[in-house]
Amino acid sequence: MTLDRLLPLLLGLAWLLPLASFAAIVFFGPRMGKGGKGAGYVATAAIGLAMVLSLVALGGWLLGNPVTLIEPTAGPAEEHAEGPAEGHAEGLAAGKVVEIVRPIAGNWYTLAEFGSLRLTIGYYIDALTVVMFAMVTLVAFCIHVYSFGYMHEELDEVTDPMVTADDGGPLRRPGRFHRFFQYLSLFCFSMLGLVVAGNLAMVFVFWELVGICSYFLIGFYHERSTATNAANKAFIVNRVGDFGMLVGLMALWGALGTLAFGNVREAPGRVSRGVFRLVRSAENDYRLTVPDRMVRQAARAEVEKIYRTAPTRRDAEEQIAGKIPEWRDEGYGYWLLVIAGLGIFCGCVGKSAQFPLHVWLPDAMEGPTPVSALIHAATMVAAGVYLVGRFYPVFTPEVLLVIAVVGCVTLFIAATIALVATDIKRVLAYSTVSQLGYMMFALGLGGWRAGLFHLVNHAFFKALLFLGSGSVIHATGTNEMPRMGGLLKKMPWTAYTMLAGCLAISGAGVPLVIGLSGYYSKDAILAQALSAWRAGSSPVYAVLCVVAMGAAALTAFYMFRLWYLTFLGRPRDHHVFEHAHESPKVMVAPLVVLAVFSVISGWPVLLTNLSLTNVLDQARPKGTEAGSAGGVLIPWLTAPAEHLAEDHAIHVPASLLAFALALAGFLVATAFYGVRRIDPDRVRRACAPVYRFLRNKWWFDELYGAVFVRPAMRISGWIAAVDREGIDRFVDGLAGLCRRVSVLDDWIDRTFVDRTVDRIAQGVHAAGLWLRTFQTGRLRSYVLLVAVGTVGGFIIVSVYWQFVLAGHGRMGP
Amino acid sequence: MSVAIQWHSLFFLLMALAACGAALAVVLSANVVRMAFWLVVSLGAVAGLFFLAGADLVGTLQLMVYVGGTLVLLVFGVMLTARQPFVDMRTAPTQWLVAALVGASLLAVLWQAALSVDRWAGRGQTLADRQAQAEPTAAPLGLALVGVRVDKPDQADPRLRDGMAGYLLPFEVISVHLVVVLIGAAHLARAKRRPTSPEPPQTPRTPE
Amino acid sequence: MNLLTQPVGPMHYLLVGAVLFVCGVICMTAKRNALGVLMGIELVLNGATLNFVAFGSRFLRGDSASSLGLDGQLMALFVIVLAAAEAAVALAIALNFYHTHATIDVDDASELKG
Repeated sequence: MTLDRLLPLLLGLAWLLPLASFAAIVFFGPRMGKGGKGAGYVATAAIGLAMVLSLVALGGWLLGNPVTLIEPTAGPAEEHAEGPAEGHAEGLAAGKVVEIVRPIAGNWYTLAEFGSLRLTIGYYIDALTVVMFAMVTLVAFCIHVYSFGYMHEELDEVTDPMVTADDGGPLRRPGRFHRFFQYLSLFCFSMLGLVVAGNLAMVFVFWELVGICSYFLIGFYHERSTATNAANKAFIVNRVGDFGMLVGLMALWGALGTLAFGNVREAPGRVSRGVFRLVRSAENDYRLTVPDRMVRQAARAEVEKIYRTAPTRRDAEEQIAGKIPEWRDEGYGYWLLVIAGLGIFCGCVGKSAQFPLHVWLPDAMEGPTPVSALIHAATMVAAGVYLVGRFYPVFTPEVLLVIAVVGCVTLFIAATIALVATDIKRVLAYSTVSQLGYMMFALGLGGWRAGLFHLVNHAFFKALLFLGSGSVIHATGTNEMPRMGGLLKKMPWTAYTMLAGCLAISGAGVPLVIGLSGYYSKDAILAQALSAWRAGSSPVYAVLCVVAMGAAALTAFYMFRLWYLTFLGRPRDHHVFEHAHESPKVMVAPLVVLAVFSVISGWPVLLTNLSLTNVLDQARPKGTEAGSAGGVLIPWLTAPAEHLAEDHAIHVPASLLAFALALAGFLVATAFYGVRRIDPDRVRRACAPVYRFLRNKWWFDELYGAVFVRPAMRISGWIAAVDREGIDRFVDGLAGLCRRVSVLDDWIDRTFVDRTVDRIAQGVHAAGLWLRTFQTGRLRSYVLLVAVGTVGGFIIVSVYWQFVLAGHGRMGP
Repeated sequence: MSVAIQWHSLFFLLMALAACGAALAVVLSANVVRMAFWLVVSLGAVAGLFFLAGADLVGTLQLMVYVGGTLVLLVFGVMLTARQPFVDMRTAPTQWLVAALVGASLLAVLWQAALSVDRWAGRGQTLADRQAQAEPTAAPLGLALVGVRVDKPDQADPRLRDGMAGYLLPFEVISVHLVVVLIGAAHLARAKRRPTSPEPPQTPRTPE
Repeated sequence: MNLLTQPVGPMHYLLVGAVLFVCGVICMTAKRNALGVLMGIELVLNGATLNFVAFGSRFLRGDSASSLGLDGQLMALFVIVLAAAEAAVALAIALNFYHTHATIDVDDASELKG
């Protein structure tokens, strides 16, 4: 069995297993085990099996496509041959790069065909897919196991202190253990489907599915209004992004006629091209060119002119075919490509909580902590980054700039807010937003591998940090760090694994020698930023680079602030401290596993070329390995080739700078919270306005509320008023009119009709009474009547004879 | 008077006046016994009228059966129920008026019918012609009763010649009928066990 | 008088018969005594019998072809016999009534009972 057949089978199975688990729990959940505990086993078994299949797939991929190093190809330097690109090539000795492996694309099932658009359930499997599968299933498995301990109280009746019941006390409700795993399974299915998806339509479907799973899970404690509001907010903000995504989808479909990623062999000899090959075709050396169809679509007016003037249709087509390159050079169709890219990125902004749609992620912490770990740290929010990475070949340099800028802004804003947050989960949420910003930043600057490498690492250590914080919350019963402190002795396992996580996220390690996972990825990102600064001719890149580096220091600061506040120092709330205890093994084991991965995921397998970065490199989109320089609309853009960042001239300064900044952050945090040399309160008072600004999260929620929410409410109030006053009044008026008419009808009925009927009845009755008097029983009356009748009969007959039969007088005998 | 008096007509007039007058007397009498008497007179006059019409057997039977039998029976009945209050029961004048009106209208109708046919007036024939046609009727009647119609062959009108069979069947039927009537009447009038205290006679009510 | 010089026809008999009939009807209507009513019946029957005889009389008709002949007289005979029978029955009923109700007033016999 070739890899082409095996991998789709393995990954397809791994993808569908959580769906089966979901279906089973939906139908039988409450009956599985006591309180629904069996549901947890089913879900965990499903995801565990999926993990095994994913790891087997990964192994198979590595066996079938070993990492091979080759010489890098020449860059796009020959296009815009002055200045920065050349300088780049001169000063750097590019090392070897990993050979790109062709992806496996195909369709499992065709749902429908609308003209040229085929809606299929298809797959696009390359190294990135396999790695993502392994990461997602591994993290999900750990979290499933962890949830057994964390959601333990859902097995019985739950008392929720944050909701007041009708009687004034805390709400008591039945537990929902199985529901949690049901939603987790659905989420895993959706996420894996998103990863394996072979076309944008399928991506969109699963995009929405993960969104709805997030909604369900954030609102898991749905009796709390905070939770339901947060769930609504998450979904609505995501929807805003999805609107842009739809615009991008439509642009692509309208212009290209297909939404599939890769080429699919439909019949022997007939291959339908996917988006990637349409935009970067082999004939063009895989450079980003506007496809013919798109050019033609954009130059519609010209096409029509030709049609009108040309003698025959064939002539017209020939003319058009000849003119397409000309039009392309003039820039026709480029805008469509830009729009498509921006649209797709818009969806990613929503899903990955980038500025300006970042407001939902901190509120999403209302969900249970395993949910925060899985969805809002490791996987769902990573889907945006993943899509940017997947869709990378279609992004024009302008779009890449936008991505980089958005990422940079996001990472800065979120880092600053995390400095002053006191809720442990909120700090981690803002940290997530910031790190996602880093990933986008890297991708926008051409660091495709760096960004995705950071994605995988971030999944491990962020999940670790969240689960650790969940452990703390579970033990102490509170989220607020000001009430914690000194928990190191009480919860050593949690503390040390979280320390590993903090070190990883800060990028700790011995520079240029060895480090934790975050060290490598942070390094790569900052190196790429520096490379772009050097290659780029605009001060924009300088600003971006400086901001990113500054935020690295902030990252180290707030992470260690979190750690110190939680675990060191004197306990600030004795009740909380008394209550604290180490979590059960079922919750600690995943922490340990994730801590191990946080440490080693950057390291290559001993004595081989096999490392996460190299494997990811196998999936690099063809045509992008040489970077890009200059866009059609903005000439000074640059996204340098990634392998150039490994050059010593870039890498060494980047590494040292990163380490220095992280160290600075760590020392400041230690000074504030570790050894307590500087009083944080004094600093807070000194920078009070800044503090207030950051504490209120840059007032984004208030801004959105004023600009969007309140006007919308006001408009809806007006419309409701129109409905109430106008339409309802009208309808009520009609009803009142109807009622009055019916009253009138009733009066008419009673007065005329009833009277008539009654009169008739009375008349008949009276006639009957009168006729009764004839039956006297008296002989004499009867005789009289007989005589009268006889006389009357005679008269009538004679009248008849005389007047009716005119002319006949007396009858003869 | 150049025209001779038809004695037949005179006697007819006498008998007719007697019959009508007696009938009127029956009506106008208040006393039931007097009524019975006047009835006898009236029926006797009718018998006379029968004789004058040439129906001698019928007249005889009228006298014998009707006057002598039926009316005697009636008188018996009168006598049997002749308690004083019942002998002079009076009806209200209003009712008399209504009865008189109805009677008068009926009379008018009947007289109008009788006077309207010319042929019944009996004009144009002398007594001598009439007498030529008179026949004794007793024997033919008797024979007809036993089933032989001897008068039919002489019938000039061919339409009236049918039905040579007589009235044997009706004769039989009437005989049986009479037997039945007798038995019924006897049963009806049988002596019944009287209640211990006979009801007091009701006071004559004021007629409406 | 016209009548004295002219022969009598069936018309005259009819007139007399009508008078008797009407008197009988008035008797039946206006007499409260049951026997008075019976007498009225007798008068009615006699009036009818007179009609029969008048039509059946060859003597009155003048031409034997147009009279009923024997049939008329036979009808009269039957009427007489039946009148007798009917009178017997009626008398029986009246006496019965008298015995049960101790009254012979027909106005009291309005209940269809007894």
